[in-house]
Amino acid sequence: MTEVLLLGRRAVREIARYPEATIPTLFIPLFFLVVNIGQVSKTFPSSTPFLKGQGYVAFQLPVSLMFAVATATSGLALVTEIDLGYFDKLLVAPIRRSSIIFGRLAADLVRGIATSTAVLLVGIALGARVQSGVPGALLIVVLSALFGVAYAGFGILVALRTRNVQATQSSFLLFFPLLFLTPNFVPFNRLSAVMETLARINPVSYVIVGLRSLVIDGWDAGKIGVCIGVIAAMGAILTMLSLRTIATYDR
Amino acid sequence: MTLETTTVQPVVPPAAHEHAIAARSLRRTFKGGIEAVRDIDLTVASGEVFGFLGPNGAGKTTTVRMLCTLLPPTSGSATVAGLDVARDGAEIRRRIGVALQEIGLDPVQTGRELLELQCGLYGITGRRARERAAELLDLVGLTDAADRRTKTYSGGMKRRLDLASALVHAPTVLFLDEPTTGLDPASRLTMWDEVRKINAGGATVFLTTQYLEEADKLCDRLAIIDNGRIVAEDTPEQLKAEMGHDVVSIALDEADVGTTEAALTGLEGLERVVSEPSALALYVEDGAASIAEIVRRLDRGGITVGAISVARPTLDDVFLKATGRRLEGQQDQAQERTES
Repeated sequence: MTEVLLLGRRAVREIARYPEATIPTLFIPLFFLVVNIGQVSKTFPSSTPFLKGQGYVAFQLPVSLMFAVATATSGLALVTEIDLGYFDKLLVAPIRRSSIIFGRLAADLVRGIATSTAVLLVGIALGARVQSGVPGALLIVVLSALFGVAYAGFGILVALRTRNVQATQSSFLLFFPLLFLTPNFVPFNRLSAVMETLARINPVSYVIVGLRSLVIDGWDAGKIGVCIGVIAAMGAILTMLSLRTIATYDR
Repeated sequence: MTLETTTVQPVVPPAAHEHAIAARSLRRTFKGGIEAVRDIDLTVASGEVFGFLGPNGAGKTTTVRMLCTLLPPTSGSATVAGLDVARDGAEIRRRIGVALQEIGLDPVQTGRELLELQCGLYGITGRRARERAAELLDLVGLTDAADRRTKTYSGGMKRRLDLASALVHAPTVLFLDEPTTGLDPASRLTMWDEVRKINAGGATVFLTTQYLEEADKLCDRLAIIDNGRIVAEDTPEQLKAEMGHDVVSIALDEADVGTTEAALTGLEGLERVVSEPSALALYVEDGAASIAEIVRRLDRGGITVGAISVARPTLDDVFLKATGRRLEGQQDQAQERTES
């Protein structure tokens, strides 16, 4: 546990010292939020049934949250360490290899909390009201951050398997179809049949729906439960694969 | 200053082992059938500085990575500090310090932060970690730069910090993989001093190098590795002594190797001739006495050569004898010696 804390603290320090790596991950989702609202708020006024009296910003907010937290930053940091040789230094230390992964994920949690809080506050400033109140807002931040942690496992996995900076950087591109093949602009029932099918088999849809329910509906145990389940399953699978890969690294 | 200071005793107390390192038929084959290390045997006594000399690609780093438990051997066995590299990886890692050829530093951290983190990874925390980091920064002369990020360090400073980070837990066995590669001469001498201090503190040092002078000056014993095989192993003095008495080097310039070699066949006291593309090395009993006869024979054969010189054998000659070629990167040095 001490090793995880030490390595996590180092990774957090890295985030703080390289704000230029975090700021774009904040800027882009906020940019999309503002642009999307500007483009479709007249098409979907607050009288639109699925908005339940709120502006379109409330509907879009969860998408921006996902965008903000899903990064390949940890994978990139790890592959850079492999490149620089510091990773070998960690492997030859008497620590559990898993602590290298958990240290990175701990930093992702901190970063996720910071960025999702910022995006949520901007959303509220743009007019979104969190129907589930302050506890709901806190849950949104926590779930968003945990989704970021779960997704970070993918970047880490690519970093460990390819040991290649470009490949790890490109792994982030996978998130675009995952994010856009969802009910990100309209609910499931407003999508075309093909899009709806794709969105319904995409687990990320259920994370968006869960977070959105906290903003628009209040407390919907079913949607929140599925959201938590998807994040947990995704995190468990990707983290487990990463742990297995690091355990057999050069062995 | 020694490794066993007031702040940190070895994380694992050194046990009495006759051999700090022992390898038997150690082999590593990479994908595609590349045989990086081929059935090497070696033993390193506790407390000695052991050199592993060889050109790039000879198998030095692969051997170090196997001994450090970073890479499993394909076959064979090895023990470090009396523990099996295949079975006791975790225990070995608590007892060894490693500074690999690729300097393993995190550029975002300061020197002090990096050492304190390294202490933490070995279970040294709080005030003890701060004191140990300060002590090591002092040892490697980086106290003034301690609070700068390592990305601002020069190559020499990075090497020294990397060395310090390998020492936080006062290791029993220290692996240094080409610790002076890329350093300027002054930094190289500083590094040598530090290696001597570390060894004087009780650590066994396993040092890979491609520099002959480094192996000669620093090592109690050394092995020469070429193409994955150990081709010679002994003390530097003994290896040189086995070469014979003197080396007469002849720079051939335009002269033909075969013709020159033929002209010198049967020379009195000649023990061995090694030909290179542009030079001949004659190993003779008495170099000075042989010169006149060599010149006479060349003159008789109408052979014009560039220069002739006599010297005591060096490790380069040992390498040449063992492998049939000079150590990579030492060609110019050899040529200079021939022309002097």
